[in-house]
Amino acid sequence: MTQRALLIQLARLGDLVQTIPAITALKEAHADWIVDLLCPAHLEGIGRVLPGISTVVKWDGAAWNRRALLAEKEFRPEHVVEADADLRAIAKEPYDYAFVLNQHPRAILAGALLARESIGTITGGPLEQKLSPWATYVRAVASDRGENRIHLADAFCGMCGVSPPKHMMPMQVPFASLPLDLDPIGQSDGPWVGLLVGAGDQERLVPVTIWARLITDCLNSLQRSRIVLVGSEQEEERAHSIQTALPPSLLGRVWDTTGRLSLTQLAVVLTRSQVVIGSDTGPLHLAAAVGTQVIGWYFARARVHETGPYGQNHWVWQAAETGGEEARLITPHRWPIDETIALLSHQATASVTDWSLLTSHRDRWGAYYVQAGQEPIAPFQREAVWHELHPSLV
Amino acid sequence: MEYLNQNLESLRQTFQTFVGAVKDSRGGVLAIVPSREGSPSATCQGQWVHSAYDPRKEAQSWAEQQVREWKEGELGVVLGVGLLYHVEALALVKPPDSRLAVVVPDVSVFKDAAGARPLGSWLNTIQWITGTPEEMAEQLASQSTPLRFFTYGPAARLHVEEHQRLETSLRRIMASKVGGRLHVAVVGPIYGGSLPIAHYVVSALNELGHRVSWLNHNVHQVSYEAFGSFREERHRLTLQSRFADVLSLSTMAHMAEDPPDLVLAIAQAPLTLAVLQHLRKKKFLTAMWFMENYRHLTYWRQMAAGYDYWFVIQQGECLDALKRAGAAQVHYLPMAADLTVHRPMTLTAAEQQEFGGDVAFVGAGYSNRRALLPRWVSNEWTFKLWGNEWDGAANLSSVLQRNGARIDTDTCVRVFNATKVNLNLHSSSGIGLDAQPDFVNPRTFELAACGAFQLVDERTLLPDLFTPEEVVCFRRTEDVRQLIRTWLTDTAGRREHAEASRRRVLRDHTYRHRLQELLVAVGLNQPDRIGSILRGERSTVQLKERAATVPELVPLLSRFPPGQRVELKDLAADIRARAPGRQLAREELLVLMLDSYRAEKKDLI
Repeated sequence: MTQRALLIQLARLGDLVQTIPAITALKEAHADWIVDLLCPAHLEGIGRVLPGISTVVKWDGAAWNRRALLAEKEFRPEHVVEADADLRAIAKEPYDYAFVLNQHPRAILAGALLARESIGTITGGPLEQKLSPWATYVRAVASDRGENRIHLADAFCGMCGVSPPKHMMPMQVPFASLPLDLDPIGQSDGPWVGLLVGAGDQERLVPVTIWARLITDCLNSLQRSRIVLVGSEQEEERAHSIQTALPPSLLGRVWDTTGRLSLTQLAVVLTRSQVVIGSDTGPLHLAAAVGTQVIGWYFARARVHETGPYGQNHWVWQAAETGGEEARLITPHRWPIDETIALLSHQATASVTDWSLLTSHRDRWGAYYVQAGQEPIAPFQREAVWHELHPSLV
Repeated sequence: MEYLNQNLESLRQTFQTFVGAVKDSRGGVLAIVPSREGSPSATCQGQWVHSAYDPRKEAQSWAEQQVREWKEGELGVVLGVGLLYHVEALALVKPPDSRLAVVVPDVSVFKDAAGARPLGSWLNTIQWITGTPEEMAEQLASQSTPLRFFTYGPAARLHVEEHQRLETSLRRIMASKVGGRLHVAVVGPIYGGSLPIAHYVVSALNELGHRVSWLNHNVHQVSYEAFGSFREERHRLTLQSRFADVLSLSTMAHMAEDPPDLVLAIAQAPLTLAVLQHLRKKKFLTAMWFMENYRHLTYWRQMAAGYDYWFVIQQGECLDALKRAGAAQVHYLPMAADLTVHRPMTLTAAEQQEFGGDVAFVGAGYSNRRALLPRWVSNEWTFKLWGNEWDGAANLSSVLQRNGARIDTDTCVRVFNATKVNLNLHSSSGIGLDAQPDFVNPRTFELAACGAFQLVDERTLLPDLFTPEEVVCFRRTEDVRQLIRTWLTDTAGRREHAEASRRRVLRDHTYRHRLQELLVAVGLNQPDRIGSILRGERSTVQLKERAATVPELVPLLSRFPPGQRVELKDLAADIRARAPGRQLAREELLVLMLDSYRAEKKDLI
């Protein structure tokens, strides 16, 4: 009998994209299941193009906020009635399963409200807060650090009770026309290099001067290269500052798309770029998902072994921890600018103090990263983890 | 005249007495001037009461702004009459099932309005409130629906005093009727004169049955003073200021963990403007009771816009100055006494010996006291001076008690009880009486509450608080010796005054009274929030009645006592407490989901 499953991912763009392997694996394991996705309303556009998803159910956080504000002012039974009606409107019948991939209480409550059985981050009732083995593992690696652990996207698979997918295909980006003046992006000789100017967290922002230097050196080194500045409306000013710091002679080769693209258009621009550079952000993961090679600069709290771009042939510069509790928030003193340009030019890269370069690979246990230049020998620890946490799947 | 007759004729059926009063009035308060657009506008004493260009358009825009706040079922009350353009505009956009009343302190103004232009049938839908401010307050208080005030400033300024009296009177009437239970967070100072008052405020709120979160920053006094021990002023001030910032942040953490309905700060509470602005953003209501002389302690200038409500012990210019500095709501709230602390005592002979005397003064050594008190020491009577900061006052050293040590409240009360004539001299920085003698100090109320006789320097705000039969005043310093002489020999007269003043405190001047008035003032401005809680509209019983459409909620609500106020967070907390080991119902999950968004909104840190 066909089962209806709802995958609940209420976090940000990056987490939603990292959910693709879990969806793919679920469909591989249960080809006849209907898998729907519950995601924040503003991510609906991306949710629709995730492979394997039947229907995207929008979670209207703004409406819940408004209702909570009214209920806080004066609680009325009508608030519960309205909330119930809204939920019934998005899911008339309860799902057989909810796969809850966030530990946030509202994702867990949404699972309990929308499905007969919840699977994922917790076991037991929605208030028991007893982490599932996979959620315990994710939490532990986040605090312990260390190399060669299971990638977060594969841990999502584990939470869903399935092994990592056997095959990963790039996300198919639907046609979306770009604004006329941006349409030439990626349509002529390149390389076209996408540069993610911002980041969701302040601590993951690469300084404007560093981006400006990278762009200048890149455009000077690679004669036919173009830079596409990518970012949200909030990052327009940053993009402007970057351009102000560039020599005027190079400005004709810089395309500023910040604040002008919908999520689908963003995916189109990322597809048209030959390579995308940025810190650990949602658009970086989206670029990897659409099949574009990415070069990640991982610092602050970002760790390549947990959230490196999923897939094969991606590069990540990982800033080194210097030890101690405070070192968890890595603040680089220098940046791998020349070395990144060397990668773009397909030249040998020199080593950089306090940074290491890793490349991505994938096998039956999922994604993993190894030091650049080393043989891609799959780290055996991951197999052991799968044995321990999910013996039935191994 | 034609308009007047037409307009009054249409009103006669419903408001006969009002029409009679209007007809008998003289009118002529407003000068009618045509506006640019052609319709009549008006001025009063050279100032425009309505737009000189287009009074209708101006009124519409005013009404549209006001109506956003107006909830269904509330009685809208307009302050400011003018030519009634604004009332007409508001009547047209009012929510269904809501009524509108207009306060008419002077029917002459109404006569001018009715004579200036034809008024429509909407006139008959308005409830016209007339009479003395006290009578109008009675009429408004007798309404069964919540009141929502709308002030049309240009017209309301003609009757500022009447509106203030109406508000004061309304607050008092409503204060005696309120019954709901609020959660009030009281933020006290680190140290100083307002610290004991913070304690009295907490006690009064508890007595009134409200839930109080007492953020007592006095526990940090030692650290604060330690930071003040640095030699360099720059270091001292920086560290103390940063420390105050940390305390401000800790206050915010308390709010986040247990959100109150109202944050009530007592003067010198360490709350920074940034924190207050953040609290406002997160929809917390804040109030400050500033029991200081605004002319001397002036940090209110920087903080005025930070609090939603200011309560001050001065009137007139003080209220205007705060409003100019950005305060949205400023109310007069005089000091009071705490009857559990300030009370008549029977003293032992030894205590009488220690604390008693003919004349006494308790207080710190401000310059005017240093200059004046020596004049009132005499061989004719015993004189005792209690308190600190008297260093260098050689001419008072013979009467200074306990070597000028700080006197605690209990000792104060004993001295008040044991002294025949208590001098109460308000402090000032000059050498005579306070040159701007408006506010009444806490001592006045505390002495009266103790049933003690006092001679107090005259204050402009005193007559509203005590009569001459309750408290004896002196206007000139040279009269004091004779007054002491007179009252020392009049034991019966002293007793009569003292007893009368205590009765007055019991009737009107306890912290309980003040806190009731304060909460009602906030409630009148927030009829759908604080007001509805004070009216007891959020009790379990009421919620259960409303839950008829969601019977599944009834068992949840039944877990609370019938009269208890139930909020979203209470329901969620109860569900969480009972969650282990059982399957939650759908309604419970929905309540928890709503609460998770509520909690996020209050996530302050």
